[in-house]
Amino acid sequence: MIDLNNNFLIKNLSSWGPMIILFISVLNEFDFNYLGFNFFSFNFSYILIFFWSLKKITHFGYGMVCVAGVINDVVLGLPIGISSLCFVLLCVATSYLRSITLRPNIIKDWFFFLVSISLVNTISYLILSVFFSINLNYFDLVINTTFTFTVYFIFAYFFNIYHKIFMGNLNA
Amino acid sequence: MVTNRDDFVIAIRSAFLKKGTQQRFSLISLILVSIFLLALEKVDFKVIKNLRSGINEVVYRLSYVVSLPENLLKTNFQTISDHFSHYDNYQEMNNELNELKSKDLTKKIVELENKKLKKLIDDFFIVENEIFAKVLIDKNSPFLRSIVLNKGSKDNMKLGMAVIDGIYLIGKIVEVNYSTSRVLLLSDLNAKIPVTLEPGDFQAIMSGTGENNGVLQYSKDTLFKQNEKDINVYTSGSGGLFKSGIPIGIIKRQNDNSTNQKYVDFYVDFTQLKYVKVTSFLKEGQLTQAKEKAEIDKIDKEIGEIKKDKENIKILLEQKKIASEIRIKIENENQELKKRMINLTKELTLANDKIKKQKINEEELKFLELNLIYGEKCKKNFYNNLYKVGTTEYRACVLNKGPQRNKKNEITIQ
Repeated sequence: MIDLNNNFLIKNLSSWGPMIILFISVLNEFDFNYLGFNFFSFNFSYILIFFWSLKKITHFGYGMVCVAGVINDVVLGLPIGISSLCFVLLCVATSYLRSITLRPNIIKDWFFFLVSISLVNTISYLILSVFFSINLNYFDLVINTTFTFTVYFIFAYFFNIYHKIFMGNLNA
Repeated sequence: MVTNRDDFVIAIRSAFLKKGTQQRFSLISLILVSIFLLALEKVDFKVIKNLRSGINEVVYRLSYVVSLPENLLKTNFQTISDHFSHYDNYQEMNNELNELKSKDLTKKIVELENKKLKKLIDDFFIVENEIFAKVLIDKNSPFLRSIVLNKGSKDNMKLGMAVIDGIYLIGKIVEVNYSTSRVLLLSDLNAKIPVTLEPGDFQAIMSGTGENNGVLQYSKDTLFKQNEKDINVYTSGSGGLFKSGIPIGIIKRQNDNSTNQKYVDFYVDFTQLKYVKVTSFLKEGQLTQAKEKAEIDKIDKEIGEIKKDKENIKILLEQKKIASEIRIKIENENQELKKRMINLTKELTLANDKIKKQKINEEELKFLELNLIYGEKCKKNFYNNLYKVGTTEYRACVLNKGPQRNKKNEITIQ
C-alpha cells in the first residue's frame, strides 16, 4: 500500500478535505435535509462538524465553521447567523465532550451527539419562531433530528476510515 | 467521565473560552458574532441590508458554480427521460391540442366579455412590469421553500412581485439584491395567498405545507359537500398584491380522504423550474371617459365580430351538412340507376337473341314449307342438271320457288 502520510500534497489536501466537504455541502443545491422522501432527511453538516471538531484536526477551524454557517443561511434564505450559531454550538459541545472524556468511545460520542443536536435544534427552532415568526414543521424537525442521530454512526465509520488513511493514527 | 461540579464548570469554561493551538477564535467570540448577526438581521438597518445583499450576491454566484456539475447531471437525466417518453408525450399533446383548438373560440369570447365586465367594475389590472429570469439556485429544504433568480434591483425587480411559470402562479419576491432575488414559493409554510375556489366562487386562504402542495385554510366545508367535481384554485385578488384569476392548482376530489384538510395540487412542479416570469400588476388608473368608452366600444366590436364569425361558421357548417346529405342521396340514386341500366342492357341483349332465333326459325319454317312444294323442282336427278339437296344453291332455288324463277332473277340482276 502506498504510504499516503508521507506525501506532503496529499496530506495537506486531505487535512482540508472535511472543510471542503462542509463548504460544498452548504453551497450545493443537493441537500440531505431534503431528499424528497416523506419521512427521511438528515443534517449532514451537523454530522460533519460534530465528528471532525471532535477529532480536532488541523484545518477545521471554528472561524471557518462559522463562515460555513453564514453561507448556509444565505443559500437557504434563513436569517443570517442562525446556522452559524448552531454550528458553533455544536463545536462547543464537542469541545466540552473532549475535555470531560479520558477514553474516547464511539457509542458515548453517538449519544452525546443526540443530546447536542436536540439542544441545538431546539435553540434554532425557538429563535426562528419567537424572534423571526418563521413557521417550521415541528414534526419534520424531530424526524430530521432522529435520522441525523441514526446515520451518524454510519458516517462516523466512513470518516474514521478517511482519518485512518489520510491522517494516520485515530487517537493522534 | 468527570462528575465533580467544579470540574464541570471548568470543562464548560474551557469549552467556551479555550482557543486551542489550531484555532484563531474562541467559541464564545464566535457565538457572540452569530448572535450579533442575528440581532442585525432583526433590526432593519440600510447599511446592514446592503451588506447582506453583497454577501448574498457572492454566495449565490458561488453556489451556482458549485452546483453546476450536479445540475449538469440532472439536466442530462431529464433529457434522457424526455427522450424515452417523447412519443407518448407527442400523442398526448396532439390530443390535447385538438381539444384545445375546439375550445379556443368560445374561450376568446368569454375572455373578452370578462375583460369588459372587469373594466366596468374597475377591477382590471394591467401588467406594469414583466421580467424574465433564470432560476439560479433551487435548494430545497424541509423548512424553507424558495428559489433564487438571476435578476435583481438593477433589472427593476421589486419586493412582492408575482412570479409566474407559464400562466401559473408559483410565488412572490421576498428579497431583492443588486443582481439576484429570492422567491418564496407557494409551497412554503409561510406563504399565505387569498384564493378563490371554482365552481362555487368561494373565498379562502391557501398556505404552503412545506411539501409539494398547499393546504386551504378558513374555507367553508359546505363547498366540498355540495361539489362532486375537482375544484380549481385561483388568486382572488384580495389585498391587491396579485390580480385575480391567476391559476394556482386543483383540489382533486378523488384524492379527498374526507379529512378536514383540503390539499391543493399545484399545476407547476416546483422542483423543475428553470425560467420564470416576474410581473407586477397595476390597476388601470384614471382613464378618461372617452378613452374608456372607446376601449369598451373596441372590445364590443371585437366581441361582435367574433360572434358574427361564429354565426357564419355555424351557418357554413349547417350548409356543409345539408350539402353532404344531398350528395350522399344523389350518389345513392346514381348507383341505383346504374344497377337498373345494367339489368336493362342484359334484358335487351336477351331479347335481341330471342328475335334472332325467332327469325332463323321463321326462315327455316318457310324453307321447309317451300321445300315440300318446290323441292322436287330443284332437286338434281337423272334427267336434269339441277342442285344437290342440302347445298346453298338448292336452298336458294327452293326459296325462289323453282329454278326458272331463280334463273329469271339472275337475268334481272345481270
